[in-house]
Amino acid sequence: MIVFGRRVRMEQRLTTPSSLLVVVPVLSVLFALVVGGVFLALTGHPPIGTYLDLLDNGYTSFYGITDTLGLATPLVCTGLSAAFAFRMNLYSIGQEGQMYLGMIGGTWAGIVLADALPTAIAVPVVLCCGALSGAAWVALPALLRARLGTSEIVSTLLLNYVALNLVNYFIFGSTGFFRDPTTSFPQGRTVSENARLSPLSFFTDKVTNTYPTFVIAVVLAVSLFWLMKVSNYGYETTVYADSPNTARYAGMNSTWLQSSVLLISGALAGVGGAMYVVGPAGKVDPGLLQIGLGYAGIVVAALARYNFVAVILAAVLFAGLRTGGNALQASSDPVPIAIAVVLQGAVLLFALGGELFRRNKVTIVRVKQAVA
Amino acid sequence: MSQAGRAVAPALVARGITKRFPGVVANDSVNFDVARGEVHTLLGENGAGKSTLASVLCGLYRPEEGQLLRNGAEIRLNSPRDGLSQGIAMVHQHFRLVDRFTVAENVVLGHKSLSFVLDNAAIEERVASITQEFGLPLDPRAVVGELSAGERQRVEIVKALYQGAELLLLDEPTALLAPPEVEKLFITVRAMTHAGKSVVFVSHKLGEVVDISDRITVMRAGKVTGSVRRGDADVRRLAELMVGREINIVPRRAKSPTSDVLLSISQVHLEREGAEILTDINLEGRAGEIVGVSGVAGNGQRDLAEVVAGLRMPQRGNVTVCGVPTSRAGALGARRAGLAYVPEDRLGTGLAPSLSMVDNLVLTRKRGFIVDRKSALRESEGFIRQLEIKTPGPLTPTRKLSGGNAQKVLLARELFAVSGARVLIVCSPTRGLDVGAVEAVHALLDEARDAGKAILMISEDLDEVMTLADRVMVLYRGRITLEQAGIDADLDRIGRAMAGLAS
Repeated sequence: MIVFGRRVRMEQRLTTPSSLLVVVPVLSVLFALVVGGVFLALTGHPPIGTYLDLLDNGYTSFYGITDTLGLATPLVCTGLSAAFAFRMNLYSIGQEGQMYLGMIGGTWAGIVLADALPTAIAVPVVLCCGALSGAAWVALPALLRARLGTSEIVSTLLLNYVALNLVNYFIFGSTGFFRDPTTSFPQGRTVSENARLSPLSFFTDKVTNTYPTFVIAVVLAVSLFWLMKVSNYGYETTVYADSPNTARYAGMNSTWLQSSVLLISGALAGVGGAMYVVGPAGKVDPGLLQIGLGYAGIVVAALARYNFVAVILAAVLFAGLRTGGNALQASSDPVPIAIAVVLQGAVLLFALGGELFRRNKVTIVRVKQAVA
Repeated sequence: MSQAGRAVAPALVARGITKRFPGVVANDSVNFDVARGEVHTLLGENGAGKSTLASVLCGLYRPEEGQLLRNGAEIRLNSPRDGLSQGIAMVHQHFRLVDRFTVAENVVLGHKSLSFVLDNAAIEERVASITQEFGLPLDPRAVVGELSAGERQRVEIVKALYQGAELLLLDEPTALLAPPEVEKLFITVRAMTHAGKSVVFVSHKLGEVVDISDRITVMRAGKVTGSVRRGDADVRRLAELMVGREINIVPRRAKSPTSDVLLSISQVHLEREGAEILTDINLEGRAGEIVGVSGVAGNGQRDLAEVVAGLRMPQRGNVTVCGVPTSRAGALGARRAGLAYVPEDRLGTGLAPSLSMVDNLVLTRKRGFIVDRKSALRESEGFIRQLEIKTPGPLTPTRKLSGGNAQKVLLARELFAVSGARVLIVCSPTRGLDVGAVEAVHALLDEARDAGKAILMISEDLDEVMTLADRVMVLYRGRITLEQAGIDADLDRIGRAMAGLAS
């Protein structure tokens, strides 16, 4: 491409200077803010003031950051789920549906099993049931993928819609098990108190929206990171992801590797749904359907470049934009939530676009003469 | 001055060509020319820059510096299409044909002046006349997917001639051909030069280029190291120009008599999708010998290796490794019985390319729940010293190593790191390696033989088989069609067997 007698030239980098690993993401976020600022200015909002508000409401104020951590909790799980599958070149985008199933399975356990159990056991039982339900939801796509090579992208995506309708049916379409029998208003039946955790207060007397499940999510991310680094399972999946032929050569079982990775990925998303039950919801709550934390998990995984520890940071960053955006919408000079969504999109776009600069050296050269 | 007195400008001159890729100078101010009716060979090891130069000459690459003169006039080539309009065409090592199309359809594919509705009869007639003129036996109506490698190459050549090529660049044209097919190719090359066309022959096979070339230009590390005319060409001198030092090629044979049978393959029969891949294979490998299996690519070599390695289950027949039957035991079972396997595709099958040497060393060993990388790291460092593996370190991804060094890593793992493996299968162990690395790999295999391993070496490189093997076999269409002792191996008979001609 020649513009004003200059040509953009790209050369692959042999080595990436370590400074770029910091500079590129920071610049990506800055550029995203500039783009979002243009939208803000166009809609008549002062960009800088709005950003400061966003920062305050999303990250720096007490209620801002605690709301953000609360929202980030299931997001860490769906982010881990996506990262776990994507690292193996399995592009499961079923986190949304698996998370709903986690919520359903967790609620079932919370209603049926938790009454007889102390909280210290009931909560893990609920989380495990959520994980199993999430894994079960991906079992069919996993089997199809490993045995017949069916695209997991399509099968997991379609099951998201099935899961969504399942939740709607349980609450709005029927008066069955998950529906609260005490009221005619369509809402979910609450789980046993033993299966609930109370929010963290962070040594104050305030009631926050952050639950101890956030700590569980962080522990999950860190242990997953460590296990995949040192364990044989982590080693085999890494080999398989890098070169399926090498894995076959070494006698690894590709059917087992592919299906187990998808099942674990489903379980991680399911845990996210169950954490929603243990924490804020306490029931099958259609409100979860509105916020798209499953799909956002894919974005979080991409931002984190499939690094399990980085998923925590990306989830908090992403959740903060959402809580900050929500607060702006409710402020005296309401900024539409769409702006926050534009900002999320811009962050993702620039972060992924920044890869180009990390991998390539881009120079602009003057073109000496037109080519004969 | 009369017309005849003026020196005729060469068909193509390249002056001071410099082409860089990230991290390497592939061509460093290279000068090259080819006259009308001449066969000019570019000789050099892999990575010497011959293919890069050929790509510059046909317009595929644009050099950073230098100029091209066609019949004395400067030209600029921005694409292979520009090259074609100057009558320059390249036949690539990897064919670029559509399998489902017929020969004639492939020939006209991408041709500029095609009518909307193809006049098949006229096209086929022209294709047939070209094939006749240049001795390229081909049926214009045959479907390309059913042709042999040699026939496909002819399609590529006909395609170039159909498009009006006056100067043909043949990139490693003999790589996939059996000896009789090479001879046919040479007849075509002669026919083309008689018709006043020029041929640039790119090759790293010393032996064969001496016969066909009018001139040979040797390249090494991106530079021209010498140029000789027909008659002055001396194989030893050319080899030294290629490698930059003196070399000695001496056959290596078993030093001690062979003993027990460690590998036995009996009546192995393999089918895939109804087609017979291997038929009635019988073979024995004894401790302390190298059995060489030779043949043109695609005659069942890879399948034979995979059957022995436990990666493919034969429909009938038995394989035993050190007395243990393994034909149904899978890859892990075969390894447990004492088998090591160096596949042809070293980066991508034998090694995981993005993983480090350390991670690749643990690939074929028993691993607990936690992978022990500490001992593998120590071992890596040992191998790097002993085998002189050139690498920034044991944690560098193996894809960053050169072919020879990657092969050393793979051989180190399969020869030494696998404890107790007494049977070794190696496939094309030196394919794509430079002469120095070939020497090192051959020395390692020779050492392993002396150490009492039974080695099955499957290789398309006949020279390699002749240099190393104690017994030579030829695989043709999934059958072993010839077996000879390495010392009395008769090249002519082997060549004929490779081509499927009855001996």
